[in-house]
Amino acid sequence: MKVAYYPGCASHGIAKDVDIATQLIAKDLDLELMEVDDWNCCGGGFMDDRNEEIHTSLNLRNLNKVKEMGYDKMATPCSVCLNSHRIAVDKYENDSDLKENVDKRLEKANIEYEGGVDSEHFIWVLIQDVGIENIQKHVKKPLKDIKIGTYYGCQLLRPSNVMGFESAHDPHSVMDLVAATGATPISFPLKASCCGFPLMGSNPPVGLKMANNILSDARNNGADMMVHPCSLCHLQLDVTQLKIKDHFKQDWTLPTLYITQLIGLAFGHSPEELGIGKITAKYLRERGFA
Amino acid sequence: MVEEKEITVNIKKYDENNGEQWRTYRVNANRYTQMTEVLRWIKYEQDPALSYRASCHMAVCGSCAMKINGEPRLACKTMAFNAINDKNEVNLEAMDYYKEVRDLIPDIDTFYDRMYKVEPRLYADQTVISGENEERMTPSEQKEVWKFEECIWCGLCVSACPSVKEDEKFLGPAAHAKGYRFIADGRDTKKAERIGILMDSAWRCTSCYMCYEVCPQDVQPVIAIKKTKAYVDEYPGTTEVITMARKHDDTISESIAESGKIKESKLYLKTFGYVAAMKDMMYMMKQGKIKYAMSKDTDVKNIDEIKKIMGDKK
Repeated sequence: MKVAYYPGCASHGIAKDVDIATQLIAKDLDLELMEVDDWNCCGGGFMDDRNEEIHTSLNLRNLNKVKEMGYDKMATPCSVCLNSHRIAVDKYENDSDLKENVDKRLEKANIEYEGGVDSEHFIWVLIQDVGIENIQKHVKKPLKDIKIGTYYGCQLLRPSNVMGFESAHDPHSVMDLVAATGATPISFPLKASCCGFPLMGSNPPVGLKMANNILSDARNNGADMMVHPCSLCHLQLDVTQLKIKDHFKQDWTLPTLYITQLIGLAFGHSPEELGIGKITAKYLRERGFA
Repeated sequence: MVEEKEITVNIKKYDENNGEQWRTYRVNANRYTQMTEVLRWIKYEQDPALSYRASCHMAVCGSCAMKINGEPRLACKTMAFNAINDKNEVNLEAMDYYKEVRDLIPDIDTFYDRMYKVEPRLYADQTVISGENEERMTPSEQKEVWKFEECIWCGLCVSACPSVKEDEKFLGPAAHAKGYRFIADGRDTKKAERIGILMDSAWRCTSCYMCYEVCPQDVQPVIAIKKTKAYVDEYPGTTEVITMARKHDDTISESIAESGKIKESKLYLKTFGYVAAMKDMMYMMKQGKIKYAMSKDTDVKNIDEIKKIMGDKK
């Protein structure tokens, strides 16, 4: 199966390991990821703060590229990119004034928005198109006796009338995928609370506090490690772990992974092949998973 | 005859002397039964001491806000049959964040304090007040204001907001929706002052869409906050939070206009300055991520399209 693939800026930057692991397991699952031609930054969470017209136009340009490639679905590993594209289409379809101004901007760039492309998270494709049973068939090294905190964050789930895949208060997609690897999924109260990444560009102390709340909550509920589904959560919860540890003067870290990295481990790949960070790789070796 | 069935209602009761304790009740409900009706039957027939607020029973007064199965909701707008799980059970608790008073009643004075900080009424021009002039809203102005005017002051968004819990300088979602409602109203004379009240607070929102999700009136406060942030270019003042936000967002805008993508290393340097950016790079190095920070993604080839979309605004 072929699917149009929108990596997003972070997974082609500091969260590159999100892209590496996603590409790797897609290959294992015979899922051909066709990168969107000449894609641009969606501006999610930033440009919509400054100018809704520009934000919407940038997202519609990407979706048009997908249409030109002959696909009606675009998958992304980043919850913010997903949210951005879905919100843009929702606004365009429901706000006639905004639509008129967006059309004017697109016309200047010689783009006529065609519509008919749905943005989906890569994990939605895994669950709906690949199927949990099929994923289980590819598991070579079941991750037995390890408890994984299942974190969803905000942008994947909310607003649920726009995102539409599962309940915003009682989601289970990440749990289902974790269970497929043989690991024990752990739910915790802050599983759908914000990781604080959006505040890192304006109010970092509170952003770090939110990240620490998530990690502590997962840990206090018995998680050995935590998985999440977002390139920007990855920057906040994985890349920034040591900064959080120092900032709150703690003597612990919680090894954190992007969801496709965990699936990749169960498929038999090494932490190095999956681009996994040093803290998590060290922990995996200690526990005998690598 | 409408079919009835027995449902189990678990309520987290609270009073000062006994603290919190869960109590279970069983009542008959049918497909037309609202959760406020369920509460009324419990109070009349089983537990006269049960305390809760409910007034209009039609999602206008906002008094029956509570957590239903952990979700912040209005009890009157929730049908019992939609709330019960597969064991015909439903759990009720007071809203998070506010001080508990008794059972399902929280003290929401802090919510009102937040609302009054944004001066939630129209300050019309003197000539309008004296009757010399009359002012009318344009249809597009009314459309812009409409959604944010619908707030019923129930307090659900504040109870569920993660920024409110962590940051006392954040005014909270409802106050922002109300404040923006007047910023966008051409008849109001306090626009600049209102932007001054709201701007620093707006950049303390973490854009998690929780308020959008839980609002029973579809007010979408986070959208009002984003629309308020868009005034940052014309706002003359600044604070530490606003200064950083300006640097951060300007760098992103420039980066997208130049290359069509976000260049993270440049973003770190320009937003946080050399010293702080270097510190972060050290953390990345320890985590084995620095090689990704140094990697360079391809620019958008047809950058002219991006420049034309961005147009006159950077």
